Amino acid sequence: MYSSTVYNRIKFNYIVQLYIEKRGHCMKHPLLPLSETMHYILLSLKEPLHGYAIMQTVEQMSAGTVILAAGTLYGAVENLSKHGWIEPVPGETGRRKVYRITEDGERILAIERRRIEHLLSLYEARDYGEKI
Amino acid sequence: MKKYKWFADLPKEEKWLNDRLAEGFACRRIGSFGGYDFEPSGRRMVIRLDYQDHMSAEKYGEYKAIYADFGWTHLKGNRWGSVQYWQKPADGRDDIFSDAGSKLAFYKRLTKYSLTTACLFFVYTFAVFNGNIFSALFDIKASYFTSGLWEKDGAAFWRAFLFETPFAMLRFLPAWLFAICCVMSLYSYFRYEKMRKRYM
Repeated sequence: MYSSTVYNRIKFNYIVQLYIEKRGHCMKHPLLPLSETMHYILLSLKEPLHGYAIMQTVEQMSAGTVILAAGTLYGAVENLSKHGWIEPVPGETGRRKVYRITEDGERILAIERRRIEHLLSLYEARDYGEKI
Repeated sequence: MKKYKWFADLPKEEKWLNDRLAEGFACRRIGSFGGYDFEPSGRRMVIRLDYQDHMSAEKYGEYKAIYADFGWTHLKGNRWGSVQYWQKPADGRDDIFSDAGSKLAFYKRLTKYSLTTACLFFVYTFAVFNGNIFSALFDIKASYFTSGLWEKDGAAFWRAFLFETPFAMLRFLPAWLFAICCVMSLYSYFRYEKMRKRYM
């Protein structure tokens, strides 16, 4: 029997593999491609933050264009930690849980970065139509 | 000011509540059976409704703490799968969902919940009435088992009738709850579909 971490590891690799190789087969994954909300939350959690501080950080990062509401933030944090992309920081006690990004979360960001950079390169290339 | 009202459609209930608040009230308490208690308020307030499935005590604490940090006061709700009522002074950031995905997920949870509840009551009614849902809903006599009850008259009838009513209610109320849950799930499903078509 696998321990749950090993199992999660395998599941994660499988999802990511699918996502990289056959984008179409991964349409069913609920979090990929990352939504704007999820993107900002994952990026903000490179430093440990609690719920309300995530909202404040995201507001700053987005220059005031993305203002997370309570229900959306709670659901997103729930979802991201369910998939093991963020985790509560151990040792932090008190009413508010503090979260930070996990290694898996970083890998997801790296993959998304590649996808977005590719899109960006298409924006920047003037003659991409001719190459195709 | 106390008001009694029943809703099968959550967004409609939310709108009705906010219309009362717009008249210069704040909600003080929400009872279990459709009773809403309002008090005059100097500040403009807003109410938002959320639905959450069963959560552990720890999760529920975290859920409430996040809302509290955003300025929301918990009016009603429990952690066993229920509608959560939140109120706060209006300040321009008055929504609990800030993207289409989370709003959609809310309607999905709601639909699933009312459908599951409807199924439970359906199974109960089906077993009690041997599958005859219509007699459970519309034939009140089918819920009373006392032999010769309807032939009695005067005090004897009322005594027997009132004595059995609580037991009869155990038989016909779940049937009505089943019907109400069906209406609720239809409402939330159509809201979900409408939203999904607009955003996805």
